[in-house]
Amino acid sequence: MIADETHKQETHKQTDSRPRRRFWSRGPRPPLFAYLAVSPTLVFVALIVGMPLVYSVWLAVHKANPITRKNTFVGLDNFRFVLSETSFWNAFGRTAHFVGFSLVGTTILGIAIALVLHEPFRGRGFMRSVMLVPWAMAPVSIGVLWSFIYAGDIGTLNGLLHDLGLGFLATAWLGDGNRALNLVALTHVWNQTPLTALMVLAGLQSMPASLHKAAMLDGAGPVTRFFRITLPWLKPTLLFVSIIATINALMAFDIIWIMTRGGPGEATTVFAWLGYVYSFQFLRFGEGAAMLYLLTGLSFLMAVFYVLVLGPRRSRHQAIPAATALDDDVAVRSPRPYSIKVPPTREPLVSPALRAVLARLGFRALVLTIFLWSALPVMLLILMSITPASDLIRVPPSAIPSALTFDNFRAVLFPEGGTTSVQAKRVPLSLLNSLIVGAVSVAIALAVTPFAGYVFARWPRARLFQGGLWSMLFTRMTPALTLVLPFFVIYRTLGLIDTHIGLVIAHLSILLPLIAWMMKSTFEGVPKSLDSAARIDGCSHMQMMLRVLLPVIRPGLMAAAIFGFLVSWNEFLFAVILTSTPDAQTIPVVLSGFLAQARFHEYGPMFAASVLSVLPPVVVAFVFQRYLVEGALSGAVKG
Amino acid sequence: MSAAVTIDNVVKDYGPVRVLHGLQLDIREGEFVSLLGPSGCGKSTLLYCVAGLEQISSGRILFDGRDMAALGSRERNIALVFQDYALYPHMTVRENIAFPLRRLKVDRKTIEGQVAWAAETLGLAALLERMPSDLSGGQRQRVAVGRAIVRNPAALLMDEPLSNLDAALRVHMRTEIKRLASDLGLTVLFVTHDQEEAMVMSDRIAVLSQGHLQQFAAPMDVYRNPANRFVAEFIGSPKMNLLPSPDRADILLGLRPHDLTPAGPQDGEDAFSLAGTIALIEPAGPQYFLDVLVGGQLVRATASEIDNLSNGSEVRLSAPAHRVYRFDVATGDAL
Repeated sequence: MIADETHKQETHKQTDSRPRRRFWSRGPRPPLFAYLAVSPTLVFVALIVGMPLVYSVWLAVHKANPITRKNTFVGLDNFRFVLSETSFWNAFGRTAHFVGFSLVGTTILGIAIALVLHEPFRGRGFMRSVMLVPWAMAPVSIGVLWSFIYAGDIGTLNGLLHDLGLGFLATAWLGDGNRALNLVALTHVWNQTPLTALMVLAGLQSMPASLHKAAMLDGAGPVTRFFRITLPWLKPTLLFVSIIATINALMAFDIIWIMTRGGPGEATTVFAWLGYVYSFQFLRFGEGAAMLYLLTGLSFLMAVFYVLVLGPRRSRHQAIPAATALDDDVAVRSPRPYSIKVPPTREPLVSPALRAVLARLGFRALVLTIFLWSALPVMLLILMSITPASDLIRVPPSAIPSALTFDNFRAVLFPEGGTTSVQAKRVPLSLLNSLIVGAVSVAIALAVTPFAGYVFARWPRARLFQGGLWSMLFTRMTPALTLVLPFFVIYRTLGLIDTHIGLVIAHLSILLPLIAWMMKSTFEGVPKSLDSAARIDGCSHMQMMLRVLLPVIRPGLMAAAIFGFLVSWNEFLFAVILTSTPDAQTIPVVLSGFLAQARFHEYGPMFAASVLSVLPPVVVAFVFQRYLVEGALSGAVKG
Repeated sequence: MSAAVTIDNVVKDYGPVRVLHGLQLDIREGEFVSLLGPSGCGKSTLLYCVAGLEQISSGRILFDGRDMAALGSRERNIALVFQDYALYPHMTVRENIAFPLRRLKVDRKTIEGQVAWAAETLGLAALLERMPSDLSGGQRQRVAVGRAIVRNPAALLMDEPLSNLDAALRVHMRTEIKRLASDLGLTVLFVTHDQEEAMVMSDRIAVLSQGHLQQFAAPMDVYRNPANRFVAEFIGSPKMNLLPSPDRADILLGLRPHDLTPAGPQDGEDAFSLAGTIALIEPAGPQYFLDVLVGGQLVRATASEIDNLSNGSEVRLSAPAHRVYRFDVATGDAL
């Protein structure tokens, strides 16, 4: 009886909905619960990302008069103006240089590091954590660190050169235009390489071991195997990595703000910086917005270009022959037409034992190089933070401190103790602010996005959800600068400048798409049968989420929380534009403030504050390395 | 041409763990040898050692009398078909099959001819321009074999190549592979945990357990004259029954279910017999399997007819005396 009924329902469904379904939507129709679950995220994103974007589009087609505050519609004039500016085309050239440098640098170094850290050796987990540190640090902290290393009179690099008796080589490293651009790009590479390495590492881990064994037996040496087996296997990963790395390089802003502010002259004025200058220094909102939209378009074009170049290779055959030859037995075999001669084997030049020793030594050297590349600058930062402030401004400079002291930390942690530095007094509150903003943003994001992620994962073909997902992806291609201007204008009218809630909303505009995407990937790894089991065992949709699925994806939630917190903790642009007093300023803002108004005796406290600012990221990199790798696997990648 | 493979006292240690305990196997040129054993017995490790993918800790591996110790896997001219086939996912079928020849720097005409021959031999001619992702499991398997036979390997090693195929295809492919190997005169080392596969395909079977060679003999020899209790139990389905000997405590009796049948009037004087109660009757097509409770122990037997039998009925089972195996309780050796 029951069977009869289901049967009837099924035939009914088939005859009734098949033709229509194919026409309107692909896949089964999602239940009401799916729409309810996805709506908070979509509504939030529409409000805090969609609306500002629409406003900035409006800005881009208007001309604002800063004095009369009147806006006149000018159509595409702003774009026309920008495209006719020589400064735009100069910035275009520099951007191309910067992006090319970063892309080549991060890809080559990232693949190399991943290859080394893919091999099993003792301390591999530790080395993976060390490798991640430059990426976990805030770009602002990185900028502070490297601009002091490259600084002219008192910089660490010059200090080292003096210490080594090579003082004649000392120079103002960021003083020369072309060199400054390259050094900033190198710093960007230092920051971004771990991301590439992490994703390539994930790609390598997914490669079946038998592939290399087969190639070895087929006579391929290590070099052939790298180019013929490993690289082709990594192609999808490299496609993704190139897109992300290009976008990140196009949008690079924090480092430039800290290190060169577009200078010397205009030597490091790339697109993103020019857009900022137009919008916030010249207050030419229309032109600034137009420029930033050109940047968005460029990111998009580059992404399309990569997909075309690196996209998946299809079989050459056109029509698939219906029946394949699998079942016809070959009754009579023809003999081999050729006899393949195997070339005589040569006795190896070095004995296998010696070769093994050499290989091990070479490998150790590579591991040590990776350690120095990743950790040495950070150790320098720590060293500078416990160096007496007066040592840091010695002339001639030296990298060796005359004494070790915790005065700098005392100055920034207990400002009542009588420091004279204004900026140092702001550090404790800013740390607290960063903590509050980060924790609240993550909590809100985690409260809504798992539901959206679940829906995206389970009904990937429903049009509405697909649209939502793609628009979220699109927001990752728009520079934060595009959003920050509307945010600033809206916040000024609503009185949200200098508030925690204002910063939380701004950070959510980054976190919601990011974490929703992560959640989608996480849920894709959860078998659908689990949903069915929970439903059959009597759970409502909501109970199924809360009692069964969320506990199952706890590692994914953990990874998302860590990622989200780091992104918020390190975020600089929103924080600096949307705050003007220390009330809600976060630690990156206060750090950048040190540079803006530094008096020379404040370098010590500045480095102490930098160390405090990189402490949470470094701790995360070490303690939660496993989760971070997992997060990278699920496609979460911050700028 | 294929080589004779000698495995001479080979020992393999992973750190403190010894996985191969001095194995000794002489494999003749053109012979099809299965390495059979439960998972973790070291059979795949031995295969990888022969291929040069793993270094042996001591002993020698010789191809046609030549020591392979100094040669890497590249130089040994070995072909290996992996369990997951290990097809290069970014190359077409043609490129996959041609890959080993390209590495040998063979001229293009020869490559074309050889690939065409391999494809024809395996019925792959229509699929040469496909990517591996567009192939079915059985087709992938054939491509992997094609890549292995396209040159003349000294030996063809196969690491459970049929385990990812569905049952019908598996049966089909094992005859295919067996035929191909004998047509081409290949020396084959075939790793499997499926005793039936090993029985059907091999000239000789090497039964391994925990890194020790248990027996190395022709299939029916292994079946009829198992060297010890392990081999006796591992080979044959359903498993051999092991019963305590009625007269001696240090001896176990082994009886294959197929040799143990309900007693009939034709049984000779010397026939071995048992009495028990039927617990379950399983129809299995050509015969029935009987689970018989004999003194608290379940014994499996077979019957061609069950006219007078039902659950709970008393039955007398008998087996020819020469089909009763005896094993030492302490060592497990056959007596």
